[in-house]
Amino acid sequence: MNKFNISNINLGRAFIYFILFLFAFIYLAPLYVMFSTSLKDIEEIRSGNLMALPLDPTLYAWKKAWATACTGSECKGLAPYFWNSVRIVFPAVIISTILGAFNGYALAKWKFKGSEFLFGALLFGCFIPFQVILLPMAKLLGSLGLANTVTGLVLVHVIYGIAFTTLFFRNYYVGIPTELVKAAKLDGASFLKIFRHIFIPLSTPIFVVTIIWQFTQIWNDFLFGVVYSGSGTQPITVALNNLVNTSVGGKEYNVDMAAAIIAALPTLIVYVIAGKYFVRGLTAGAVKG
Amino acid sequence: MGSISLNGINKSFGATEVLKDINLDIKDGEFLILIGPSGCGKSTLMNLIAGLEDLTGGEIVIDGKDVSDESPKDRDIAMVFQSYALYPTMNVARNICFGLEMSKMPKDEQEKILQKVSKLLQIDHLLDRKPGQLSGGQRQRVAMGRALARSPKVFLFDEPLSNLDAKLRVEMRTEIKKLHQRIGTTIVYVTHDQIEAMTLADRIAVLKDGELQQVGTPYEIYNDPVSHFVADFMGSPGMNFIECVVKDENLVVQSGGETYELAIPCKDAIKNSKLDVVMLGIRPEMLTEIEPSADKKNSYLHQIKFDVEVIEPMGADTVAIGQWNETEVMARLSPEAGNTAGKGFDLQVDTSKAILFDPNSGLRIR
Ligand SMILES: Nc1ncnc2c1ncn2[C@@H]1O[C@H](COP(=O)(O)OP(=O)(O)O)[C@@H](O)[C@H]1O
Ligand SMILES: [Mg+2]
Repeated sequence: MNKFNISNINLGRAFIYFILFLFAFIYLAPLYVMFSTSLKDIEEIRSGNLMALPLDPTLYAWKKAWATACTGSECKGLAPYFWNSVRIVFPAVIISTILGAFNGYALAKWKFKGSEFLFGALLFGCFIPFQVILLPMAKLLGSLGLANTVTGLVLVHVIYGIAFTTLFFRNYYVGIPTELVKAAKLDGASFLKIFRHIFIPLSTPIFVVTIIWQFTQIWNDFLFGVVYSGSGTQPITVALNNLVNTSVGGKEYNVDMAAAIIAALPTLIVYVIAGKYFVRGLTAGAVKG
Repeated sequence: MGSISLNGINKSFGATEVLKDINLDIKDGEFLILIGPSGCGKSTLMNLIAGLEDLTGGEIVIDGKDVSDESPKDRDIAMVFQSYALYPTMNVARNICFGLEMSKMPKDEQEKILQKVSKLLQIDHLLDRKPGQLSGGQRQRVAMGRALARSPKVFLFDEPLSNLDAKLRVEMRTEIKKLHQRIGTTIVYVTHDQIEAMTLADRIAVLKDGELQQVGTPYEIYNDPVSHFVADFMGSPGMNFIECVVKDENLVVQSGGETYELAIPCKDAIKNSKLDVVMLGIRPEMLTEIEPSADKKNSYLHQIKFDVEVIEPMGADTVAIGQWNETEVMARLSPEAGNTAGKGFDLQVDTSKAILFDPNSGLRIR
């Protein structure tokens, strides 16, 4: 009887694993195709099987994608645009995260008249589609003299990101007992000291979540990048698009694939390093005192 | 050093009035217990005293100075919370010293105070631990240590023991009492546990629905309650309340299948109230087995039959439950008498401390 049950369970297990592996395979197959194609030369791609391993792996496509491929009229590869993205993403992520932490702290623990309304209004910002703000934002950037600049793009991403970062931090801080604030007030700590000494040290998980979220959003952004950047300040997503659409001679699939991986690599790396904090942070409950 | 006057305190959250015209003078060094059912506004009153909430009306005077508009840190008050509210990322030492750190006290002075306080509370071996690594009782001590370290004018305790198990609660209760005797600082202490209130208090203030019902010594509150509510709140097992018909200034009680007319001390009160039916309040310890030594000529000692339906041994004594006038009544017997109690038990009733209430308003008849 017992034995029968156990083997039954094992059969169920095996089935579950089979399904999991199947879906993992379906999900990962394109990534494999991209990676193996990027290591093949153009002859092999034309003649060979899509799923086959590269016979003679070469870094030619990667080098070209990084340094010499043509993105429109320029032929400097993705490198300059990669650094553009870095220069946009880092300040934008840091500023929007810090502002979100402040906002969330104030909205969660220092309620004032109208604070709930303000939070609601901010929340509304999460649901505004990119397209709606394109024109007014272009006008604003123009009148600020920030059109086609990295600073302008940083500003756009910060403004657009604040709604999300505030939401994240506010919801996290709501779970922290208000009595901690009361105790600290009686201990003579101010608004900023309470934030610094009590809330910041508790915030690692939500900082990780917010940073990953913002990093991915801003790094992967195409629309703002294509609309608000000048020819020298385009982010990597725009450059990738240009690279793929520019064909001098025949289409070089291996270069396209390598370029796409290069463009996606930073977000991948961030997930691999901090992914487990991401999951943990999203599910972190209230802090017990 | 730490007297508090609450003058006409009002507090509303939006349209809901939580505290109504609270007037209370707390003497320097007094141990005042604030007791009342959950949701009656005890924590709100504590928050008001501490300055964590703004008054809707009235004023708070500490040491002769109106502090109604002062911020918490200027009031020199420390508070121990029900949830302890220890700073989760700081170790015990830093938790205790945080207030000192905020007041920019030099490190070596902080260290001295830390040593003194942690020895006093026997937590000196825990200083490096985080709150998450402590047991409930240890957290409780740390929370008290944090309050003590600042040597404030007034301590506020908001149900500090309610998260502890029964045995630890009794231990900590004694420790808090000793602590108060030692440092002599004013304490306002919230509880809904009437035993805590009786054992700790110099005076007890009973709160109901945001209104002060009565303020007095534990003896006064227990023996001379102003209302059915206060009488019902204090004592375990609680006071018996029986509606009785008045006959010739005596109370008619049916018990054990017989009808008795019990004489009580407050005859004038019955006459003045002009009520035909009053509510008799009598504590279970006034209902006992027959004591042979009892004074037979005492007109407030009665002997009646009592049909015991349920026996609840409590160790030191046994509670016997039966009925008077079809209302449940508890008697407090010795364990030996309790063992044999049953139908037709001979009960001795001492009405010398019995009190009467108006059955409609619940107020005392005097
Ligand atoms: N910040 C608040 N906003 C609205 N109502 C509140 C607030 N704080 C307390 N109350 C209400 O005030 C009443 C008294 O609460 P409280 O003082 O916590 O009671 P107690 O401590 O006696 O259990 C409750 O009905 C509670 O719902
Ligand atoms: Mg409370």
